[in-house]
Amino acid sequence: MIKRLATIALLMSATSAMAVDSPINGVVEPKCSIWTETNGVYGHPLPYKLTTAAADGGVAASIRVDVAQADYYKTKFTHPNSFSSSPTLTDAVAWTGSTVVGQVGVAGMSAYEAAKVTYNNVTEFNMTLAGSTWFTVASSASYGSTKALPAGNYTAMIVAECIAK
Amino acid sequence: MYRQVAILLSFLFCTTLNAHEMTPAYPTLKPSYIDGVYVTKMKMFNRRKEIEYYAIQVFTHDWKPLPFASTSKIINVGHNKRKLFEVFIRSRDVDKATYICTESKVFKNTEQVTLVSSKICSKIKQNK
Repeated sequence: MIKRLATIALLMSATSAMAVDSPINGVVEPKCSIWTETNGVYGHPLPYKLTTAAADGGVAASIRVDVAQADYYKTKFTHPNSFSSSPTLTDAVAWTGSTVVGQVGVAGMSAYEAAKVTYNNVTEFNMTLAGSTWFTVASSASYGSTKALPAGNYTAMIVAECIAK
Repeated sequence: MYRQVAILLSFLFCTTLNAHEMTPAYPTLKPSYIDGVYVTKMKMFNRRKEIEYYAIQVFTHDWKPLPFASTSKIINVGHNKRKLFEVFIRSRDVDKATYICTESKVFKNTEQVTLVSSKICSKIKQNK
């Protein structure tokens, strides 16, 4: 009898132990993430030119921006206007570049392209919708109008910014 | 259809990508244990494999740099790691302080031809 009672008591206590809650907590808060999907590569189609254009053997940079809550952030992309490292250059480099909206996670984000603000080498987008937006940043550098670029490694920097409004 | 498939694939492979995050978006400055100094806590997450160091910056509303203190102005955040850090601002600068930013720092002698520097800025909530 005592053995049976002990078994029942043990089972009851085991059942109550299994019912203990194990919560998984999460917080949804305004957040911006900058994802560098493709860093970009310069092609060298002409002796004086470096470009990310696919037709010239380059690859444009692809940057994804995830915004967790609508209308909390704006993004800014600065395409290069100088090399961060290069061989010694004795002539001027003419820079061009652009930032465009690529794929969009929400159809309404396509409107970002028409509403973008461009000044100098900066392009600003107002992130009015929550979700992911892909931006394509292109860059091109021409040395001394048609002068051949000296041999060596060239590096240029794209700055992607996400700023709370 | 192709766009939806492309977006889906991008999400599926996003674990191999590189991201920079910082929260909260709207930090609040509170008096610290040091008289005349305010403090806020920030959290950073580094999913950029090629980046190990981030610079902390504080700016006014017109993007002029403001003096501040933290454990270090350049912080080391490992890949897939979170870092909590505090930013201390003098009480006389509290009204001017608007943005707290973290910016990725890239090694100079990298072999990559183009690089992406990421910068995320939170806006300080003013208690007025």
